[in-house]
Parts: sequence; structure tokens; C-alpha cells
Amino acid sequence: MNTYRLMILTPDKTLFDGEVAELIARTTEGDVGILAGHIRYAAILKTGALTIKMPDGTTRTAAEAGGVLKVSDERTTVMTTAAEWAEEIDPDWAERSRQDALRKIEQYKNEPDRLERANLKLQRALNRLAVSGRK
Amino acid sequence: MANLKDIKRRIRSVESTMQITKAMELVASSKLRRARERAEASQPFFEQTYKLMSEIAAEDPYFDSQFVRPRTEKGSAILIVIAGDRGLAGGFNANVLRLTQQRIGELKEQGCEAVVLPIGQKAVDHFAARGAKVLGSYDHIAEHMSIYLAMDMAELVLSAYRRHSSVQSVEIVFTNYVSPLVQEAQCMQVIPLTQLAGSHPRRCAVEYEPSPEAVFEKLVPQYVSGLLYGAVVESFASEQAARRTAMENATDNATEMIDQLSLQYNRARQGAITQELTEIVGGANALEG
Repeated sequence: MNTYRLMILTPDKTLFDGEVAELIARTTEGDVGILAGHIRYAAILKTGALTIKMPDGTTRTAAEAGGVLKVSDERTTVMTTAAEWAEEIDPDWAERSRQDALRKIEQYKNEPDRLERANLKLQRALNRLAVSGRK
Repeated sequence: MANLKDIKRRIRSVESTMQITKAMELVASSKLRRARERAEASQPFFEQTYKLMSEIAAEDPYFDSQFVRPRTEKGSAILIVIAGDRGLAGGFNANVLRLTQQRIGELKEQGCEAVVLPIGQKAVDHFAARGAKVLGSYDHIAEHMSIYLAMDMAELVLSAYRRHSSVQSVEIVFTNYVSPLVQEAQCMQVIPLTQLAGSHPRRCAVEYEPSPEAVFEKLVPQYVSGLLYGAVVESFASEQAARRTAMENATDNATEMIDQLSLQYNRARQGAITQELTEIVGGANALEG
């Protein structure tokens, strides 16, 4: 199987940089799979999971908090505000932040700005829980 | 012997000051190292975001975005000012604030009012004392800066920019870390990204989903929050470097002072002994004679 270079970048770290066989990501338009030799492409990512098939056939999954996916000739880049590997997610912590988000949603019912942020936080927490269950 | 006691007391006082400056120097160097690592780790994300934005702007001849177009209406400008939370860092805070005041003056001449977003206790205090118009303020966040906080700040600034067409630009004043000994206060325009508007269209087929504009609009907050995160972390590194240099100098000065005082002390002690001896010998001679 042909491979290509994938980089997963977040503002505080480079989560992944190496050769992969396939990437599956969730865009606003639906799930996409990127194989080697894909045309140049850019899409908006929803909060969701990134699944990577490594050249040796193993699979890794990471939770991702929304961002942009870009395929160019030399490499594919995922730029996301936060990402962590499924095995590195602490389910207890994710659960706590889910409860925290629910509390904030209740608290800021009448403030659209903060409610929006609390909703995003809830989405991230739910996504982490879902992804960590899949490891 | 009052003189001897005084000198001794001064030596002790300088010594305890030196212990403090020495400790601050060590703390600053270890914080500096960590801040540098964080600043470097955020580099690739920021570069790739900016690269994709310029590609989108360059590829589509009909590309247009409110974040790229210069605004004709002039009324106000948002200045994000990043200073430290504490003093004792040489000229670090003073340089940033001086540059900001200078920029505010320039804007005023153009008939443009500055609205500030101070980050760091020193900046917050500075603008509160001057009664400046403030968009929001953040203090004691630099050391544990997180990307979520940077996103909050970016959203605050961008929503003000979207809502008010009178905001002609968003600028950021921060301290660029050049080397451990050189840090430079800098003023940089964040929005509009006029440098992207001038690039020449060149076609190379890229498929954008849902559309180039939508991808670009998604990138702008990411770009601004990445820039803010980077600027805060970079400024923090500069602050630590400035503090380390200042404290290193203070420690050196203290060492020099202690040397001088010890010399004085020893001289005074020797003088006292000599005097005592002379007195004894003089007394003995007087008795014999």
C-alpha cells in the first residue's frame, strides 16, 4: 500500500508527523478517507475522531476538537485546536469536564455567547468519551 | 567601634538581597527554558495555518473576505497589549508600554481612537490609571497560557471587529524574543490581513469543502488565536529573559559591593588594632619614662 506524510498539528504540540497509509476524518460535509495520491483538497473538520491506518496495518485513533484538513502534493496536514490519542485520554477527566459543561449550560442559559462556548465544551467532552471508549 | 558594626550590618543586608536576586535569577532561567519550548512547539501550527490562508487568498481571483479588505471608515483600532504580571524585569514592561503609548499617539493623529485589550497585570494597571477605553482585560495568565483562553480572546476581538465597521484594524504589541540578551517590543497588525489581498492570483486546482470562503473564515479565528497564544508565550519568555539579565546584573553588583565593603571592614578593623597597639605601646612607654 502506498503511504504519504501526515502531520497533526495543534497550537501547543505536533501530535503526529510521519508516514501513514490512510486517514479517516469527519468534515462538515461528511466523513472522508484520504489515501496516497489524493487530489489537493481542504475541508473544515467537525469535532470528532481521526483514524489513522499505519503502513504496518495497525490503527490509531485520536480525538480532535475541530479545525481544518488540508491535502497538498507533499503532505497532508490536520490543524486542530486540540487533539489527543484515544489511549491518552483520561475518561474520568473527560467525564468531569462533561459534567462541568452541563453545569455551565444550565448556568448561562440566558447568555448566548457563553452558552455557545459551554456547548462546544460539552461537545469536546462527549467526543473524548466516545473516542476513549474505542481504543 | 560604631563604624565597624555599621559596615558589618550593611554587608549582611547586601548579602540577603543577593540571595533573593540569585534565587530570582535561577527561577527566571528555568521558567525561560519552559516558555521557549512552548513557543517553539506552537510554531508549526501557526505557520501552516497562515500558509493555507495565503494559498486560498492567492488562488482565487475573486476571493474576498472582510478580514482581508482594508476598511475605509476610520474610527477606532483595537490594540492588544501584552506586558508582564510583575516588575523587576529590567525595561521589559516599560518598553512595551512606551511603544503602545507611541502607537496610540500616532493613531490619534489620524483621528482614530484606540481601544485596548491589556494582558498582564502591569498592562491592566497602566491603562486603568490612564482611563483608557478597555475591551476586556486578562492578568496572571501568561505562565499557564492555554489555547482555549487564546480562543476566547480571539473570539472577543473578532466579534468586536465583525460588529463594528468603525474598527479599522486590530494590532498587537508584544515582546519578541530575539536572543537570551535581546528582546524587542513590537507592534504588528493582526487584521485586516492586507498583505494577503495584494498577492497575485495563481491557479492550482484545490477542492474546498464547503467553499474557499468558508474554509478561510474557519481559519481566521484559528490564526488569531494561534497568533495570540504565540505572542503571549513569546512575551513571557522575553519577560523571563529580561528578568534573568536584570537579576544577574543585580547579583554581580551585590558581589562587587560586598567585596568593597569587606575591604573597608578589614581596613577599619586593622586601623582599630593598630590604634589599640599604639595606645598600649604609648602607655607602656609613658610608664617606663
